[in-house]
Amino acid sequence: MNGVKNLWAWALLTPPLVVALALFVIPLLYLFYISLHTTSPSEIYGSTLTLENYTSILSDSFYLGIIRRTLATASAILGLCLLIGYPVAYFVALLPPRRRMIVLLLLLFPLMVSNVVRAYGWVAILGRRGVINTGLRDLGVIEVPLDLLYNVEAVVVGLMTILLPYMVISIANTLSAMDRRYEEAAHALGAGPIRTFLHVTLPLSTPGVASGMLLVFLLTLSAYVTITLLGGPRSKLLVSMVYDSVVGFQWPRAAALAFILLALALALTGVILAILRPNRIQGTGR
Amino acid sequence: MSRADVRLDNVRKSFGAVVAVNDVTLDIERGTIFSLLGPSGCGKTTTLRLIAGFEQPSAGEVYIRGQRVTSVAPYRRDFSMVFQSYALFPHLNVAENVAFGLRMRRVPRGERGAAVKGALELVKLGAFADRYPRQLSGGQQQRVALARAIVVKPAVLLLDEPLGALDKMLREEMQVELRDLQQRLGITAVFVTHDQEEALTLSDRVAVMRGGVIEQVGAPREIYDRPVNEFVAGFLGASNFLDGCVVSREDGVALVETAGGRVRVVAASAPVGAKVRLAVRPERVRMNRPGGDGLSAQVRSIVYRGAVTHYYMDGAGGSLLAYAQNAAAGDWEVGDDVRCAWDAEGGVLVAPEPT
Amino acid sequence: MNAALSVGRAVRGGAAAVAFVLILAPILIVVVTAFSPTDYFQFPPPGLSLRWFVEFFRLDNMRNAFTLSLELALLSATIATVLGTMGALFLARRRGLMASLLQSLFLAPLVFPTIILGLALLLLYKTLGVPVFPGLLLAHCVIGMPYCFRTVLASVQALDPALEEAGQSLGAGPLDTLFLVTLPLIWQGVLSGWLFAFIVSFGELNTALFLSGPGLTTLPIEIFSYLQFQGSQLVIAAASTVQIALIVLMVAGIERIVGMGRIIRSR
Repeated sequence: MNGVKNLWAWALLTPPLVVALALFVIPLLYLFYISLHTTSPSEIYGSTLTLENYTSILSDSFYLGIIRRTLATASAILGLCLLIGYPVAYFVALLPPRRRMIVLLLLLFPLMVSNVVRAYGWVAILGRRGVINTGLRDLGVIEVPLDLLYNVEAVVVGLMTILLPYMVISIANTLSAMDRRYEEAAHALGAGPIRTFLHVTLPLSTPGVASGMLLVFLLTLSAYVTITLLGGPRSKLLVSMVYDSVVGFQWPRAAALAFILLALALALTGVILAILRPNRIQGTGR
Repeated sequence: MSRADVRLDNVRKSFGAVVAVNDVTLDIERGTIFSLLGPSGCGKTTTLRLIAGFEQPSAGEVYIRGQRVTSVAPYRRDFSMVFQSYALFPHLNVAENVAFGLRMRRVPRGERGAAVKGALELVKLGAFADRYPRQLSGGQQQRVALARAIVVKPAVLLLDEPLGALDKMLREEMQVELRDLQQRLGITAVFVTHDQEEALTLSDRVAVMRGGVIEQVGAPREIYDRPVNEFVAGFLGASNFLDGCVVSREDGVALVETAGGRVRVVAASAPVGAKVRLAVRPERVRMNRPGGDGLSAQVRSIVYRGAVTHYYMDGAGGSLLAYAQNAAAGDWEVGDDVRCAWDAEGGVLVAPEPT
Repeated sequence: MNAALSVGRAVRGGAAAVAFVLILAPILIVVVTAFSPTDYFQFPPPGLSLRWFVEFFRLDNMRNAFTLSLELALLSATIATVLGTMGALFLARRRGLMASLLQSLFLAPLVFPTIILGLALLLLYKTLGVPVFPGLLLAHCVIGMPYCFRTVLASVQALDPALEEAGQSLGAGPLDTLFLVTLPLIWQGVLSGWLFAFIVSFGELNTALFLSGPGLTTLPIEIFSYLQFQGSQLVIAAASTVQIALIVLMVAGIERIVGMGRIIRSR
C-alpha cells in the first residue's frame, strides 16, 4: 500500500520539482560558475577559474559609484513608498469591507499592467512634449520645456508610483487583520491616539511593513526597463550594467554583476529583517 | 477468532517520539457494536484510523474479515466511515453523496438509485435527496453521512465521535436510532467516543483506553460493575474509593478493614494482609440511621437532581457520595449522622493509580 | 484629542488621494492618448480616433508581438497551473523540514530578481542550443508556477481533510479522489492561479528582455524597443491600451466565474 501511495506522491512531486531544479536552481548555479571564469572572445566563458570579475568590479570606482547610486535610489524609493504608503494603507484598512474591496481592486489593477506601459505613462507626463511641460507652456509659466526626464529623480518618482501598491496592499492586509482589541486595550489604559499608534499599531504592523519593504526593494533592483526609460543613459544603475555587459557579450562580467546585485539584495534583506524583526509578531498578516 | 470481523494484533503507532497506540490487541465480533472510550489523547481515534488505514502501524498487524490489511490502502479495505465533521461532499447533493460509494464499486445506475432510496428511507430522509449539504441541519447531515456509509454494505462501519456535534436530546435520539439500525442491518460497527454514557448505551463491548493502552475491555455492565482499576472506575461514572487492608477471607468474600470500619467485598484474589483500594458506586450506597449497618458519616451537602438526590458525606476514611432515588428516599438533612452500607457484590477491589 | 484624530484622518485621506492620482494617472493618460487623432503626443487629445489601433494591427512586428505574447501567456499559464497544482497537492498536508524546503523552492521565483534568472536562462539556452520560443515558454512557466502553487495551496489547505478521507473510505483511489473530490472543490483556486500566471506572463519584461530573438519579441519588449529608439509614440499608446484591455477582459471574465472576492483574497 505504501508503494502505491508513494508512487502517487512521486508522480505529483516530480514534474514541478524537475522544473524548479532544471529551470531555476541549475541555471543560477551555472551562472555563478560562469562568473568565476575569464572572458573568452569566442565562447561563453574562458578556461581559467578566477575571481577577477568580482575583484575588478568591486575595486573600480566607477562601479562603486553605480552601486552607491543604486542604493541611494532604492532608499529614496523605499522611503517615499513608506511615507505615502503607510497612511494610505491605514486609510484603506479602515474602510468598510465593500469599499475596501473596490479600493484594493483599484490598487491591484495597475500591478497587472506591464511596467513598460506604466513607465511610458511617466514619459508622457514628464517628457519635453509631455503633459507637465505642455501645460506649463500653455499657462505661460515657462518658455523652454523643462528637462524632467532622463535623470535619477524621474526614476525615483516613476518607480515609487509603480511599486506603491505593493507597499499599500502589504501593510493594509496586516492592519486589517490586526485585532482591533489591541488598540482598544491601549485606549482603556489611557493612551491617546498618537501614543496608541506609536506603541501599539505601528509595532504590530511590522510584518506588513517588512514584507512591503522587501518587495519594493527587490523589485527596484531589477526594474531595468523603467530605470532605462526614465533615467536615460546618464542615470544607469547596477542592473543597467548587467544589461550593458550582455549586449557587449561579456558574459562572465555580466554574471558577476548579476551576483553582486543579488548579494546587495540579500544583504539589505537581512538588514531590513534584522531592524524590523517581524518574526516577533505572531499570527498577523494574510 | 473466525467470527472476528476486525482484529488488531499487537498494534503500535508512534508519531516521532510520541507513542499514540501502544501494543493494542483486540477482536471485534461480527455484527456487534464495539466502542473505543477514553479521554482526549488516549489513542482511540488513532486506533480507529489504523483500522481504516489512514494511519500505518509502526508495528503489528490489522485484519478485516480474516484478511491481513496492514499494508492495504484505505480505498481497498472493506469498510466505510462516518466522520466527526460528517465530511459530506459540498458539491454533490444528498443522493449523489449517498451514491458515491456505489459509483466507486461500479454498481449500475438503476441498482444505485434503488439502493440510495432505500438507505435514505432507513435514516428517514427520503424527501431530501435533491438537497445540498449546506441546506441541511446538523442532525440531517449526520444521517446522510450514515446513509452514505451503510449503503455500501461494508464489512465494518467506523464512526468517529459521530454524535459529538449534536445537542443532548438529538444525541440521545440518534443513539437509539443508531443501535436500531445496526441491529437491523447486522453490520459490525466500531465507534470512538469520549462520552461514557454513550458508550454504555450503544455498545456490545467497550474498550477503555488511556495513554495508548487498553485498560479494560468488556461488556458495558461488566466494566461498569467490575472495573479493574481506579481509572476505569472513575471514568465510567462517579465512584467512592476507600483504602483498607484485608483482614480475613471466606468463600471468595474478603473482609476489609477501612478507616471507618469493616466492609465485606467480593474478591477472587487479594490475600490476607494485602493493602487494597475499594470502589463503590454511589447508587449502591444505602444510608441508614445511626446505630445501623455500615460506616459512620456525616451529611455535608445535598444536591437535588430531579430523579435522584446526591448526598455528599464525610466519613472517617474520606468523603462518601450516595445517590438515593427520590421515590424511595428518606429525609436526610445537612449535618445528620448516618451509616453507609452496601452489599458485598456492590463493591470491587481496584488497582490504585500510582501516585 | 479630537484634533489629533481629525488631523490623522485628513493626512490619511490626503495621502490616499495623492497616491491614487500618482498611481492611476499615468495609465489613464496612456489609454486616453491611444484614441488621439493627432500625429504626435498631445494631451488632452483634440478628438477621438481609432487610427492608432488600426496602425497597431497593420504593423507586422506589433501584430506578431501581440500574438506571441498571447500564445506565450496562454501556454505558460496552463503549464504553470498544472505544475503548480501538482506541487500544491503534494505539499498541502505535509509538514517537516523537507516540506518547508520544497515549499520555499516552489515559492522562490516569486521574490527572486527575474532579471538575474533571465540572464541565467539565456546562458543555459545558449550552451544547450535551446530555440527562442521554447526558451521563453519555459522561462514564463518557471515564473508563473509559484502564483498557481500559492493559490492552489491555499485552496487545498482550506479543505476539510476528512473530505478526501471520506472519498477513500468509500473506495475512491488517488485518481478518483483527485478528479471527483479535490478538483471540484478547489477549481476556483486553480483558475485564480491560472489568471495570475497569464497576467504575469503577458506583461513580463525581465526574462523576455534577454530571451527574445529576431522576429520573436513579446509585446512589452516591442513597446520598449519602440520607446528606446523613438519610434512612433502614439502607436505605443495603442499597443499599451491593447495590453491593458486584454488584462481587463481576462479579469472581468474570470470574475464572472469565480467572484472578485476570491481573486483579491488569494493575492
